[in-house]
Amino acid sequence: MDFFIQMLASGLSVGAVYALVGLGLNLTFWTTRVLNFGQGAVLMVGAMVTAVLIASGTHVIFAVAVALLTAAFILILIEALAVRPLAKATGSMGWIVSTLGAGILLQGLASWRFGTQAVAFPDVLFSSADTVQFLGAYISVQYIAVFVISVLIVVLMELFLRRSTWGYAVRAVAHDNEFAALLGIPVRRVVLASFMVSGLLAGVAGILVSQVSGTVDPGFGMHLLILAFVATVVGGMGSAFGSLVGGLLLGVLEKLVGGYWSPAAAEIVAFILLVGVLTIRPQGLFGKPEAVKV
Amino acid sequence: MLEVRNLQVSYGAIEAVRDVSLSARSGHITALIGANGAGKSSLMRAISGVTPATSGQILVNGRDITRLKPHERARVGVAHAMEGRRILHQHTVEENLVTAWHFRKPPGSFKQALEKVYSNFPVLAERRRAKAGTLSGGQQQMLILSMATQHEPPVVLLDEPSLGLAPIIVTQIFEYIKAYSAEGNRVVLLSEQMATLALKVADYGYVLKHGQVVFDGDRKQLNDGVADLSSAYLGTTG
Ligand SMILES: Nc1ncnc2c1ncn2[C@@H]1O[C@H](COP(=O)(O)OP(=O)(O)OP(=O)(O)O)[C@@H](O)[C@H]1O
Ligand SMILES: [Mg+2]
Repeated sequence: MDFFIQMLASGLSVGAVYALVGLGLNLTFWTTRVLNFGQGAVLMVGAMVTAVLIASGTHVIFAVAVALLTAAFILILIEALAVRPLAKATGSMGWIVSTLGAGILLQGLASWRFGTQAVAFPDVLFSSADTVQFLGAYISVQYIAVFVISVLIVVLMELFLRRSTWGYAVRAVAHDNEFAALLGIPVRRVVLASFMVSGLLAGVAGILVSQVSGTVDPGFGMHLLILAFVATVVGGMGSAFGSLVGGLLLGVLEKLVGGYWSPAAAEIVAFILLVGVLTIRPQGLFGKPEAVKV
Repeated sequence: MLEVRNLQVSYGAIEAVRDVSLSARSGHITALIGANGAGKSSLMRAISGVTPATSGQILVNGRDITRLKPHERARVGVAHAMEGRRILHQHTVEENLVTAWHFRKPPGSFKQALEKVYSNFPVLAERRRAKAGTLSGGQQQMLILSMATQHEPPVVLLDEPSLGLAPIIVTQIFEYIKAYSAEGNRVVLLSEQMATLALKVADYGYVLKHGQVVFDGDRKQLNDGVADLSSAYLGTTG
């Protein structure tokens, strides 16, 4: 029972981070129909910059702020260099290569600058020794903090999208950017903002997940990106709430399978879940079938 | 007053609009009449800016708007209801109206504008919380018209607003458009494939063929010419 609760807690906490990463992916996908395959490397940069700055004696708050701004700035560069130039050629799939390339470049830069070894990630939120007792099991306070922060961000984002005029604008651009422009919505600014916020989300997610895993290395983003992608597709690409449910489901399954069976089986389960859900509901659990634009 | 001077719109090698000049007077409904592929939509898209013109000039009340981006043109008062009944399907009726109001930054109060919309089209008030995608075609067209006119822009472009609607609804919508153009100093440019339908509301009309203006005249002149026009320019649809 203790073991089960511990696995559940760690599953919920990584699952919430998947949701956060998925939300960042979703946001830029909505506004540009481009999936940013470079996002994994941005997670890594957020965590790496935080770890390196703190190791060199920078105050935690300052280190986190610099890391988040760096992540947001990288997303703006990705938009300007890897997404916008290719959007002009309609129907081009070049963005797959260009965003993936941006990610590989970032990963290469990080390996060159910081080495390929895993770097210990400092305690940013509480200490890894802090635990609370719940139903007899000891649960890390870090897990709880990571879960609460991630869920809070996803819920705030959903509220922003559903309840504010700028949220309406983001959804309008997502649905039909030409139509949105005719309503007076500054489409370019909405797209840029979506990339900036996506960068911030990636930075936060990178820091949170490293806090739980305890280390960060230049390659750690890709694995996370794939799981977040699965979570998002399972939940439904069009919905922040869907990302959350998909992420939690995946995180819990992964940890339970990993704990009771073998960590190596966890990814297999992720993809069985993906295929299973998509067979029954191609649009994901909470997604709406996409109206095809002509 | 809307003036278009020597407008050219090309899609690569295809010249959709060729050297078109026209002027649409305030307080009048001006029709763009032309068969399938004549260039009506391309002309309207160039006026609102969603498809930039290759060359030429567009003036609204004397102000040159040719260099403005589409969302800036929307803010200076060019409203464009595109063909194909485009709308925000996942937004509710009221969210559609708020979004169409807020970003154009019009003077005046949204609350009053909303009341006016609901008194013009009471069915929209009943369905204010419904997703726009669940409305009937006629209701969607009413919402689209309201989104194009609630902020009382000086120029309204309506691309085949009657397409696919029941005759009763078409009449209702045309009545609304007439009242709108008459009420203030407003330009309404309306495209139609069928000359007979356009002539029910239009004060003046331009006939397009292969991207060029081949005839223009007031309602009487168009009416007199409608038989010839239909056979010469509009195919069998007139
Ligand atoms: N996006 C585009 N790319 C290439 N060619 C286009 C595009 N849009 C329109 N065309 C071409 O431009 C010409 C004018 O088309 P347009 O849609 O403006 O005509 P229309 O009068 O609005 O026709 P309809 O009554 O069918 O709506 C046509 O030959 C059409 O095939
Ligand atoms: Mg057309």
